[in-house]
Amino acid sequence: MDIVVAENLVKTFPSPDGTEKRAVDGLSFRVGQGQIYGLLGPNGAGKTTTLRMLSGLISPTSGAAILAGFDVATHPHEVKRVLGFLTANTGLYQRLSPRELIVYFAQLHGMDRQRAVSRAEALIDHLGLASFAHLRCGALSTGQKQRVNIARALVADPPILVMDEPTLGLDVLSNRLILDFITEQRDVGKTIILSTHYLDEAESMCDKIGLLHDGRLVAEGDIATLREQTGEERLTSIFLKLIDIETSAGVGSA
Amino acid sequence: MTFRHRVRTIYYKELIDILRDRRTLIAMIVVPIVLYPLLMLGSVQAVSYQHESLEEEKLTIGVADDDHRRMLQQLITFDTRALESRREELEPGSDAAADLPAPLDGAQIEVFPSVEDMQAAIRERRVPVGLVFDSDRLVDTVDKRVRATVHADLEEPRGNTAGRRVNELLRRTNERIKETNLKSLGLTEAFVAPYVVEEVDLSAPSSILGEVLPLILILMTITGAIYPAIDLTAGERERGTLESLMVCPVPIIDLIVGKFLVVTTVAIMGAALNLGSVTATVYFGGFDKVIASTGGAVPWGKMLFILVALIPFAVLMSAIMIAVCSYARTFKEAQNYVTPVILAVLIPGGIAALPATRLEGPMLVMPVGNMVLLAKELLLGATVPVWHAVVVLLSTTLYAAAAVAVAAKTFGHESVVFADAGSLKATFSRALIKPSSRPSLAMSVLLTAVLFPVWFFVQSSLSPAPGETAVGVLYGTAWLMPLLFVVLPVAVLGHWKIDLINSLSLRVPGARHTLAALLIGVSAWVPAHELNVLQHYLVGIPEALLRSSEQLEEAIKMLRPEVVILLLAIIPACCEELLFRGFLLSGLRGATGKWTAILIASAFFAMFHFFIFRFAVSAALGVVLGYLCWQSRSVVPAILAHALHNAIGTLSVLWPQWQQWLGMSAEETSEWAHLPAEVLAVGAGVFLVGLIAASKGAAERDREPMPVAGQSLFLAGKG
Repeated sequence: MDIVVAENLVKTFPSPDGTEKRAVDGLSFRVGQGQIYGLLGPNGAGKTTTLRMLSGLISPTSGAAILAGFDVATHPHEVKRVLGFLTANTGLYQRLSPRELIVYFAQLHGMDRQRAVSRAEALIDHLGLASFAHLRCGALSTGQKQRVNIARALVADPPILVMDEPTLGLDVLSNRLILDFITEQRDVGKTIILSTHYLDEAESMCDKIGLLHDGRLVAEGDIATLREQTGEERLTSIFLKLIDIETSAGVGSA
Repeated sequence: MTFRHRVRTIYYKELIDILRDRRTLIAMIVVPIVLYPLLMLGSVQAVSYQHESLEEEKLTIGVADDDHRRMLQQLITFDTRALESRREELEPGSDAAADLPAPLDGAQIEVFPSVEDMQAAIRERRVPVGLVFDSDRLVDTVDKRVRATVHADLEEPRGNTAGRRVNELLRRTNERIKETNLKSLGLTEAFVAPYVVEEVDLSAPSSILGEVLPLILILMTITGAIYPAIDLTAGERERGTLESLMVCPVPIIDLIVGKFLVVTTVAIMGAALNLGSVTATVYFGGFDKVIASTGGAVPWGKMLFILVALIPFAVLMSAIMIAVCSYARTFKEAQNYVTPVILAVLIPGGIAALPATRLEGPMLVMPVGNMVLLAKELLLGATVPVWHAVVVLLSTTLYAAAAVAVAAKTFGHESVVFADAGSLKATFSRALIKPSSRPSLAMSVLLTAVLFPVWFFVQSSLSPAPGETAVGVLYGTAWLMPLLFVVLPVAVLGHWKIDLINSLSLRVPGARHTLAALLIGVSAWVPAHELNVLQHYLVGIPEALLRSSEQLEEAIKMLRPEVVILLLAIIPACCEELLFRGFLLSGLRGATGKWTAILIASAFFAMFHFFIFRFAVSAALGVVLGYLCWQSRSVVPAILAHALHNAIGTLSVLWPQWQQWLGMSAEETSEWAHLPAEVLAVGAGVFLVGLIAASKGAAERDREPMPVAGQSLFLAGKG
């Protein structure tokens, strides 16, 4: 049973000169329950745009994204209820404390105040936020902020987690924290879609990898399949080889 | 969780967030509390200090002749001696002693070679004042007066004071000589000047307060709204928190309404603190006498009322600020957008603050200007008719609603949320607009709201002078109504590639709904008449409405029946139905439930009839017509019923014998009597049958012919 289905997703952005830029160009993939799916690619490949379409932050130009049976285009709120969204640069409300912030987001997810408070306490306990849960978010360290962000993403206990470059620009400790969090969530049965351009990170964690280039999927599969396909050992080499094939094929056909 | 719960959650969070911000606190509390006392004490003291020092300054007086120097010196010596002896007579420390002018002794007298040189010195401000006599002797012959001319730059404070002091010196000398001479003849002042003339100024007290305070309050309300509006929209974007908010299952309109309420709260709190601080400074600083210069008391009670009247204004400004800042991605960008908006607001505000501007005619619906005028008139003690106040408050609310709708549409727009998702400018390019099936809530409400003041201007410029007939209004309306109510919405729909047939409900109705329309159209005058009678009984009828309906009746009698039907029934029915039941209702259709949509559309419809007295009847008619349109999914039955209803009303003016035939007396006095029971029964019966016939909805053949979700800002409503 595939919990996330992307069907021929296309997203074009208008450029000021009147032309259209195709950021995502006919992307299809499926993710099964409890899998970690990694969208890999260089900057500008369309990873962020894809994840934003999956989360209902922007609407696809054409194609469909279906999460847990809900089509993002027709049921955006239902989709937002089943997913948690996390990026490395998601901001926190500087003037609220982590406790207030988690309660607020719990309420926005439809919980009444009492349930929101008890959910916040559970998350503070579970993620070890207790020592700084009363401080203002603006006064926290990067690692502490990242933990609060994780709590925010988990507030409604969503079965799907969408993470856009969750480790971008983080130090070694915060990085470790996020990677541990991802594997831990996979172990409790959550489905995770993440984008990254740290190929080694993906290599060690992802059950399935989609290599994205210029808005299109150039290859997809688990790491073994990709190795077999290209005859290369390391993911970096696999990726470079695939892009090379792709571009030379493009030149050849032109 | 309901809308109200979500908005409340957002409201409390945003309020805490904004109140914890040091910058808000400084702008909102510290500035008004410290600024006003400081400003007012400082400026009043500076002015009075300058004034006093000029009064007692040692003067330099220019003359153009050495004889004149001697004459002036003598005058000053006499005067100083007289003032001193007067001072000795008076009780030291008494008011009269304090009011004695400072003597000019010690004044330096500078002799210039000529009058021209002296004048040049005054112009160059080397000397504040000059004196020229037309004689070489202080007292000429008994029957010739000496002319003394005082030269000074009266625009300049120093010159003004000096000129006045020299003038006073001469006047005092004149008085003393006159008094002495009269006494020597055994006469009193009554012999030469029998009248003592005094003026009692009855101009409204506290006029400075009335003219300046509304503008100050309005500026402070705007200032109060700016910072939170930027912080809660562009600030959220800049700090990267918007993304986490947008992945929550919360409709954007809820977020915007919550934020808008916080901005309004802060703006009102700011205005209240400002008003309180001004009041306290004036009162405790003892400036109330200075400000209420004519001696009247400052109207403290009205200040409170003004604060209440400021609420709708704060609502409007907050809505505008939120709408404007929603376009911005950064704090800086938002500040750039806000500046021209403030200037745009200050223009109508400034016009309204002018002393001659009154709250009447088009000024009643001028955004911002009408609020300034209302506050000004109240402070100046004018009586404001209740319906004026109602028009001001209603139109302000209307503008605020439109601004909130625009804000909701912009705030969540993906090109604004994500900087990399294409530019907003490109979003407006028509080539990239996708066709959609009906206008959005924002578009339909905004266009109708913009039409409201325009239509008010049109109607007030067309309105006939007393004694004229309304023929000009009828023809003018017949031209302008199709243009504004039909051509304009159609052009807007066309530009945004919105399906015209669906938006204006231009469908062929079924036989059932056509019949319902006919039945309602011929009988609606019965409930309308009874509603009018009831309202007349409850609240009476204003003179202005009587006059305007008399003018209308005269105009009707001057025209041919078929022309009357065209001008008063067919054109208004088509235009009004296409705007209110077509364009507006289809925009509301996507956003609210059936009855809310019908009620809002008919409230707009009634407001466009301006007279508060007609509001109830127009709104009731609007509800019936809206119901007809909703049930039949076509605007045609509503047009039919509306035209029939209007035609019957007009023709009954042309042929008064109809009324007799119906058993009503044609006498003027019984115009507000109930209908005869049998007419009432038949009419109500037909009307009810019509409603029942309409109650079965048309098949939803083409509910969503095209996708509604759209790229463009004003484009489509929710699906």
